[in-house]
Amino acid sequence: MYKLVNDCVDGHPACIKRLSDNAFIPFDPANTDYQVYLEWVAEGNTPEPADPVE
Amino acid sequence: MSQINTNAILDASGGTTTSINGYTPTASNMAGRNRIINGDMRIDQRNAGASVTGNSVYSVDRFYQVNNVVGCTYSVQQDSSAPQGFTNSLKVTITAAASPVGNTQVSFRQYIEGFNTADLNWGTANAKTVTLSFWVKSSLTGTFGGAISNNAFDRLYAYEYTINSANTWEYKTVTIAGDTTGTWETGNSAGMRVYFGLGATNYSKAAGVWGSAFAVQSTGSVDLCATNGATWQITGVQLEAGSVATPFEHRQYGQELALCQRYYQRTKRTGDATTCIGNGHIYNSLTAYSVYNFKQTMRSAPTGNASASSDLGILSAGANYVSSSTHFQAANEDQIEIVLSGLSGAPTGNGGWVRLQTNNSWIDFSAEL
Repeated sequence: MYKLVNDCVDGHPACIKRLSDNAFIPFDPANTDYQVYLEWVAEGNTPEPADPVE
Repeated sequence: MSQINTNAILDASGGTTTSINGYTPTASNMAGRNRIINGDMRIDQRNAGASVTGNSVYSVDRFYQVNNVVGCTYSVQQDSSAPQGFTNSLKVTITAAASPVGNTQVSFRQYIEGFNTADLNWGTANAKTVTLSFWVKSSLTGTFGGAISNNAFDRLYAYEYTINSANTWEYKTVTIAGDTTGTWETGNSAGMRVYFGLGATNYSKAAGVWGSAFAVQSTGSVDLCATNGATWQITGVQLEAGSVATPFEHRQYGQELALCQRYYQRTKRTGDATTCIGNGHIYNSLTAYSVYNFKQTMRSAPTGNASASSDLGILSAGANYVSSSTHFQAANEDQIEIVLSGLSGAPTGNGGWVRLQTNNSWIDFSAEL
């Protein structure tokens, strides 16, 4: 399971939080954790939405 | 004293095994010839020698383990038992035995970055032969297996080695003719996957031939996972070009650590001294930002993690503000932003020191293959 994280300043997507271990994954195609996330999405899953910026 | 002036020293057999003072100065006998990183198991950033038991986790640096055999449990850790010339090994102990069924496996592997295998020319008519060498010890004897694959898992070669005496360090070498077909990555993805199998049924194949079926070991080789209490240890792992196993390339500790940190790096607070990991800027009363520069350029933008959100804080104007929600963003291969959120009453616009707050707290970054 994953959750999107927005930047606190501009509110744009900043990274993806992997909920199993609270790791933060960048949007880098060469990052193997991101590759696993993309496969998870391709299987029809949807990440939790980001929290609103404080 | 005598002096020999000559243009060449050739092996009498016509091969490449001429030695000088015990060393074999072949074309592959040079610094950087070992494509395996941390082959002597000295670096253990994640676990500092503690045992790990999970499936799909790292033990010592760069060595990844998989155990999805139902009913099998194991303990894996860096060990101080090693053959002469080495200080560490990787030790596996089976703590609950089960036979591998279907598409399950117990295996150890290292994925080698394509930049470090590109010169082997695999996937072309000029593919070079490689030699894998290592020291191994097991409570079991017999024929053990392993495999090599490409990034896409569709070019596989299974190899075998024999352990003759139980609980005795033995030196093994395996020479593999390079694959002249298939796609072998030459960039920052996995150029080669090197497996040591400790249990597999479906994921095994005949030794000594290239094929497309996935395997982590050879057909009929020992399933360590099926024997409770069985142990297997390995160190001195080297993969090099050529058909001759040269002596293990002992790199300086700092060099080996730096090689590991391209794929994983951890900064940890030890002792009572609060560890400053960078300068920060307090954006508003709730949020502070910091830029963290990696110790080594990483293979890709890494995944970031921390021991706990509340393990980070920022010291500013004599007061400490502890984060309740830390995340990492805007990463590239050289740096990453650390965002401390949920601060309370932090002085907007101030600078400060971002610190690890508690003993043994850490941040880590992974760009593993």
